[in-house]
Amino acid sequence: MKSSLLWLPLFAVPLVLHNDVVLTILVFTFILGILAVSFNLIFGYTGQLSLFHAAAFGIGAYATELAMAHLGVSFWIGMMIAVLVVLTISLLVGTICFRFKLKEFYFAIVTFAFSEMARLVILNWNSFTNGSLGINLTAKPSIWLPGGAIAIEGTRIWYYLSLVVLILTVTVCARVVHSWMGRCFAAIRLNDELADTLGIDVFRYKLISFLIGNAGAAVAGAFYAFYLGYIEPAYLSIDQSLAIVAMVLLGGRDTVAGPVIGALVLTALPHVINFSAETRILVYGLILVFTILVMPKGITGAIARLARAV
Amino acid sequence: MLQLVVGQLLNGVIIGTLYGIVALGVTLTFGITGIVNFALGAFMAIGAYTGWYLTDVVGIAYPVAVPLAVLVAALFGLLADQTLFRFTRNNLINGLIVSIGLISVIQSVLLMVWTTTPKNMHYVLPGVINLDLFIVPKMKGVVFLVLLVVILATYAALTRTWAGRAAYAYAQAPEAAKLMGVRTELLQTGVVVYSTALAGLGGALYASLYSLEVSMGASYILKGVEAAILAGIGSVMGSLVGGIVLGVTEAIGSIFFPQAYRDAYGLVFLVLILLFRPSGLFVRGR
Repeated sequence: MKSSLLWLPLFAVPLVLHNDVVLTILVFTFILGILAVSFNLIFGYTGQLSLFHAAAFGIGAYATELAMAHLGVSFWIGMMIAVLVVLTISLLVGTICFRFKLKEFYFAIVTFAFSEMARLVILNWNSFTNGSLGINLTAKPSIWLPGGAIAIEGTRIWYYLSLVVLILTVTVCARVVHSWMGRCFAAIRLNDELADTLGIDVFRYKLISFLIGNAGAAVAGAFYAFYLGYIEPAYLSIDQSLAIVAMVLLGGRDTVAGPVIGALVLTALPHVINFSAETRILVYGLILVFTILVMPKGITGAIARLARAV
Repeated sequence: MLQLVVGQLLNGVIIGTLYGIVALGVTLTFGITGIVNFALGAFMAIGAYTGWYLTDVVGIAYPVAVPLAVLVAALFGLLADQTLFRFTRNNLINGLIVSIGLISVIQSVLLMVWTTTPKNMHYVLPGVINLDLFIVPKMKGVVFLVLLVVILATYAALTRTWAGRAAYAYAQAPEAAKLMGVRTELLQTGVVVYSTALAGLGGALYASLYSLEVSMGASYILKGVEAAILAGIGSVMGSLVGGIVLGVTEAIGSIFFPQAYRDAYGLVFLVLILLFRPSGLFVRGR
């Protein structure tokens, strides 16, 4: 209850702050936060280093747009179709990986391989995805309110929309983590052979965690694409997957909302400091290296330790 | 048709040995320090740029420039080990993130020094070897031979010398190796530095064949990791064979299937290997 109140000040930010750059950074933070929080269910809570997350994100973005363009459905229906598509593909990938009991590094590599195959398909399916040129998204999603539909345009509406979806994601993940299912996830993370002997269906719970996480990524992909107004195959790149891992580690993988802080730092820092492109990459690299070495439990972990010390 | 297949086969073998040299570094680092150093691709770029700079700008003869480039890569490897990797031993995920951060750092420094313009080294050794059925550029042949010799020498060193056997012993039972007097810290640093030197060598040789870009190492580290897993982590000769298998699979695959999916053939192969023979092709069961 206490933690849910922490979100409230965020609703006031656009009222007091009229700086569009800051709001834009926050919108990206929230959307990438959805991505990082959902990934953390698989990685932080179930202990599986999936590199399929960028693929789920990218397929979510593409499927939403393609459903809208070819089936003539609205953004929201398109997003649901995208979630279904991602769930189907994840079911296939997850079943293969978990049925064959792939773990740790090997799981990471096989999920990476599937992710890369998805990227290659999108990159080369020119007639459908416009290949490496990507697609400019002209349609604007809209929401229905009493009194008619309003188009989601402008930073302010996007701010509230992405904030609400982020809070929903965090709430859902928190409920999952604190449920009986979440305990099963933790048991699998700590020792999956032991979990198995205790009668936990390791295959099933790994798969459920993988599916929920990837569904979150698909939602994030749809929002990200339509906020940015552009999709390209780079959504599915290994760099994107690794950036998600970095956000989670930076924010801290032991809390549900921690990854959002990681998303904030990695989104905001390169913009806060006015550097040339080369220096920006340098700063990004240095942040990664030194957080890991200095704060192995991430920013939330470091704050918690500081709080205990005081 | 035959000519095309044989030509592609040879290209695959040469590219494959480059994968193999990176894979060897991956295998050794993983076996001894428990991490996968994803920055090996960036060390390859260091070797390549240094090799190009020394040959084309400074004007040192290429055969002298290559060892110097290897030395430079190894020195940066030592620096990286002492400041970063020393703290991520046996922590796969931290090692992964630190090495990825290191990629950004190395790439940005290379960009600052040598800008984004691709660099092309002047032909070191022009001309071709004509063997009737197919033609191989001489330089490609030289690169292949040098890499082959280095990998064979590494294998010999690992199996015949005290340090090599110490490394094997450590990979099997770290505690026991320590009790037997293996200086584990030194061994780990040595392996990290050696793997960066190998990557630097791969890069310096690469520079004589292809155009250089700052991000050139990215695909090689991925293929190197794939090759290492294909062969089975810990197998030295396997990493060479794994690299060649991967290179040939891609080259031959792209004759019969769409070229655009070139990178996917190796991946499909890799997934199948991992599913049905998880310890790799050349390591007996686990």
